[in-house]
Amino acid sequence: MQSLGQRVFLAIERAFSTFFGERLNPLYYLGAIAYFLFWVAVATGLYLYAFFETSVVQAYASVEALTHGQRYAGGLMRSLHRYASDALVLVIVLHLLRHFAFDRHRGFRWFSWVSGVVILWLTYASGINGYMLPWDRLAQFVVTATTEWFDVLPVLGGAMARNFISNANVSDRLFSLLSFIHIGLPLSVLALLWVHTQRVPGAKTTPPRPLWIALLLTLTLLSLIKPALSQAPADMGTLVENLNFDWFYLPTYALIGTWGATNTWFFVLGATFVLLFLPWLPTRFTRGARVWSMAVHPDERIVDVRAGETLLDAGLREGLPMPFECRNGGCGVCKCTLVHGEVRLQAHQVFALSQAERAAGKILLCCAEPLSEVELTYVPLPGARAQPVKQYVAQVTRLELLTSDVMQLDLKIDGGASLAFHSGQYINVLLDGDERRSFSFASAPHTATAIELQVRRIEGGRFTPTVFDTLRVGDSLRIEGPLGAFTLREDSHKPIIFVAGSTGFAPVKSMLEHAFHTGLQRQMILYWGVRSRSDLYLGTLAEKWAQDHPNFRFVPVLSMPSPDDGWSGRTGLVHEAILTDFPDLSAHQVYACGSVHMVQAAQPAFAQRGLASDDCFSDAFHLAPQKPVHGSDAEMVQLGGSHG
Amino acid sequence: MANAPRPAMLRYVLQGLAYAAFAAVVGYFSTAPVYRQLGDDQAVLKLSFSHSGQLKYACRERSAEELAKVEPNMRNKMDCPRERAPVRVELDMDGMPLFRVTTPPLGLRKDGAATVYRRLAIPAGMHHFSARLADDPNGEINFSSEHRVELTPGQVLIVDFLTGKGGFVFTGG
Repeated sequence: MQSLGQRVFLAIERAFSTFFGERLNPLYYLGAIAYFLFWVAVATGLYLYAFFETSVVQAYASVEALTHGQRYAGGLMRSLHRYASDALVLVIVLHLLRHFAFDRHRGFRWFSWVSGVVILWLTYASGINGYMLPWDRLAQFVVTATTEWFDVLPVLGGAMARNFISNANVSDRLFSLLSFIHIGLPLSVLALLWVHTQRVPGAKTTPPRPLWIALLLTLTLLSLIKPALSQAPADMGTLVENLNFDWFYLPTYALIGTWGATNTWFFVLGATFVLLFLPWLPTRFTRGARVWSMAVHPDERIVDVRAGETLLDAGLREGLPMPFECRNGGCGVCKCTLVHGEVRLQAHQVFALSQAERAAGKILLCCAEPLSEVELTYVPLPGARAQPVKQYVAQVTRLELLTSDVMQLDLKIDGGASLAFHSGQYINVLLDGDERRSFSFASAPHTATAIELQVRRIEGGRFTPTVFDTLRVGDSLRIEGPLGAFTLREDSHKPIIFVAGSTGFAPVKSMLEHAFHTGLQRQMILYWGVRSRSDLYLGTLAEKWAQDHPNFRFVPVLSMPSPDDGWSGRTGLVHEAILTDFPDLSAHQVYACGSVHMVQAAQPAFAQRGLASDDCFSDAFHLAPQKPVHGSDAEMVQLGGSHG
Repeated sequence: MANAPRPAMLRYVLQGLAYAAFAAVVGYFSTAPVYRQLGDDQAVLKLSFSHSGQLKYACRERSAEELAKVEPNMRNKMDCPRERAPVRVELDMDGMPLFRVTTPPLGLRKDGAATVYRRLAIPAGMHHFSARLADDPNGEINFSSEHRVELTPGQVLIVDFLTGKGGFVFTGG
């Protein structure tokens, strides 16, 4: 049923796009159009309310005076009120159907779906209540049918309908009550709309200007051609055979006439139950409840993508300035390049993403659900800024000299807060004058309350000498993070080769400790390249890992060992040691963290040995001339914090 | 771009047609097709009343032992159970039974009124109605009334029961 719905929607949308264009296709703005129609109904309703008389005798007369006495004001307003309300039901139902057809009602979207169903019912209640106010034959029918319908419920037993059994029973107070309800119900619709929309990142609540202008003109023309009119005045002493019926709001009443009140209750409650629980019904897509991570360039951020969430939804939720327009796979504005990973593309228009583009690694953010950890790059909206990364004040809890020029700096965020991050990411230390210094997390994510950094002293630098000379335990630093798209990919079974150069050991330590913590069973080898033995500042820790974890090996490589080192291990450049050990790298993944020179030398050499570009990860690679994404600060990251 | 681009004028015309179709759907189903709520030459009968049945049990005097068991401020000599009898109503039209309804009193203690509401479309024309009501604990009919009326198509006849007016009342809406 859903695939049929998708085909129908796609076909109509494709046809509409040929003359509306992709950016003004009304079917891509059903939610926003519903908002607009609601506001039209509210604005016109306020005008009508100013002239409406809340009494038995005057209710009908005042509406007639509005309709005929001021045809191009009150009459027009009444018609607009009627038609906007009718169109609102139509658009809400289409909106609901589209989300159901495209399976966009499951997972985290359950809240929007359920609130949407409640909004639909409240909209019905508002409209039905509105039909009671003009006190014409239709109002008489609606009041009688409604009270009779409710009277079949236990306890009431006929008490409600008796209030409308004769003209004498209907009092002026009824109209005050009905007016009150007719204000209260739309207010509750508005409140729910707000909640409904707040949960949708980047939700549009206003259709494009040409669209709402055209819509308003259409409704105005309809109002002029076929004004909304009252039927004969209500008279409880008689019934008319035929009623001009509003089939947008009153189909339930036709059902009551056919099936009876009790059966209609069962149908309505059953349908509501089914609608409310649709998000939890089994699906043919087996996504599971897995949360995947999405590494994003040029933002250099890693965002979690929840089960059932599109990449666009996840990005917008995190405040990334991702481009989008229709959100329905029709305009192609959210096209981007998938650098790594797999996605499932929901149904979309072929003209928005051609087969050739798909083959070239392009995807539509609004239709892509991750099937693995993904990395992508997109062109941000012109002038748009990503939501700033969260800033914290952190206290220094530990300063330990690891070697003569590397300091372990432990931080704890004030207030006991934790900073959720992915292994391999980094933070910025904020300095006066809006300067920043970046350092990779050396600790694993599961110890997020204790942030460990490894700081190499850079002579003449602005920050690192202070870490060695003046910074004390208890001092405070301002930091921001997490940042960086470099992280451990856990969606592969290939053996991992970590290549660390100098303090590039810090992010590798974070990734390895995370891997040990999560019980990753893949084979892992760490090649740590330094100049001399004293630079292996945590070599004993790496050796202990090798003893404790059978799937891990540690290979230290010294480039310039001194005679005093008494070194009998591997020597030379670290990437050359790997090339010696692995004639074929096609079945491996490589994570390289070190100087730009090291990474740039290693990348082509590894590729020649069969390492797929999809299996080679390093921030330094992004600094290569063909991918300049993050300015000079990025260099600090892969160096594990060696910037001054 | 979606398929081959169309000339601008044609696109505007097609957009106009789409909006016109939207307006046509909204405009048409806003009032049509008509809903037929009553057949030709039919009138409507509504049986509706809210009436309290008689008390089901008579009052009795509490014994001294019973009074001694309750607190001093609650020592009411008379014990008057509040439960009321159900109300049974029968309505015949032209000698044929229309309704046979027995309604229990409302309320947790069954001390409220019994409320009845029934609506029925009947042929217009001259009719003879016979109504009976039992509200005593024995269930015996203690109110009855006969009424002859000419109903025009669409007319509503209400059959009410008002003790203050002596029992059944046949009125128009």
